[in-house]
Amino acid sequence: MARTWLDNAFWETPKKEILNAISEEQVDNKQIRQVHKLNKLNEDGSPNELFNEVIEFLGEEQIEASTKKRLEKKQAEAELEKQKKLEQERSKKLEKLFEYKLETFEIPEIKESKNRLLKSKLRRSKSIPEVNLYAMMIVKESVEDENIK
Amino acid sequence: MKTLSKGFVIVASRNSNFYTYAVNLMESIKDFYPEALITLVTEERFIDERADEADQIIFCDNHYRAKLWGMSQSPYDITMYVDADMDCEHEDIAKVWDELGDRDMVFHELTPEREKFYAIREFRYDGGVEKYTLCGGVCLYRSGNPLVREFMEDWFELFNKQHNNMWMPEGFEKQQWDRDLKHFDQTTLWWLTEKEEKYKDLKIGIFRDDIRWNYFTQYGYEGLKSIEGKPPILRHYSGSLKKDVLIV
Repeated sequence: MARTWLDNAFWETPKKEILNAISEEQVDNKQIRQVHKLNKLNEDGSPNELFNEVIEFLGEEQIEASTKKRLEKKQAEAELEKQKKLEQERSKKLEKLFEYKLETFEIPEIKESKNRLLKSKLRRSKSIPEVNLYAMMIVKESVEDENIK
Repeated sequence: MKTLSKGFVIVASRNSNFYTYAVNLMESIKDFYPEALITLVTEERFIDERADEADQIIFCDNHYRAKLWGMSQSPYDITMYVDADMDCEHEDIAKVWDELGDRDMVFHELTPEREKFYAIREFRYDGGVEKYTLCGGVCLYRSGNPLVREFMEDWFELFNKQHNNMWMPEGFEKQQWDRDLKHFDQTTLWWLTEKEEKYKDLKIGIFRDDIRWNYFTQYGYEGLKSIEGKPPILRHYSGSLKKDVLIV
């Protein structure tokens, strides 16, 4: 059986000088698949016959389409990976923030405070500076109460 | 018709950090659901003014799994048990009772995609492979049903035997049992729900969009999200907190 080429061949460079393609052929009742990285020209500057064979077999349009498809897939994968990393960072930040809040709630003035609103604001804080802000408000209130007494 | 009492049970024992977590959890539930009834099961030595947040306090000892004992002591007809190291983040907490439907117990599910965050999910039993499917981090249950209450009592008692080498059913492999299974209340839960004849008619289910009811912070590492695209209701900090290190 003659050599055929899988239709997922793609350009490795925008200048279309390197082609990545997979050949398939039957040798002694075995189907052989091989990945090729093909330069447009041989080292001596002559045309690469295998390169031209792929273009003739699949057509430039097909190669163009699978290059675009592959690029979109890679971009989507990279975006997913980026999102995953962001989520991971967000989760770790949240864990640290939770520990920081617990520590803040152990400050005697805050521990004993009956101001539900401020304590709730502190608990719902999204960052350490915000936690500090509400913690200061609670402590300030406690000091003022003490002064009145 | 009698109105069913509904409330939360939170257990904090053995380590004072759990008391701190429990206080935070109680307050966070009440931030979103001020009318919530909460029973705190804890050791007398931990109690301070912050326990006033609880509507009822039940004293327990410093048992390794006081949680299971606490679950069996619920004063309510319908109970939502929540692990102390969780934080309530959403007003949907007030809708928790709707999740029970006609079921007796509702859990968070151990799924394959969540598997990597659990110590163990699969184990060998009777020549095959079995899986834990229920996670005990949260449990909504019909504590007014005598059979459910008995279940909770059995869970505690059987776990004690399991942990103290007084019970290992046939079918388990001794080496894996000793190494991975006997320390887990999950093992007892699996046995009671899957193998115990007495409880075969109990209706056991999973929360709808269950990830929201027990969102382990590590789920975020993998970007696991609610199927309805909604934020977590209860976030679980198990695994990230340094439980044996004093908070202050």
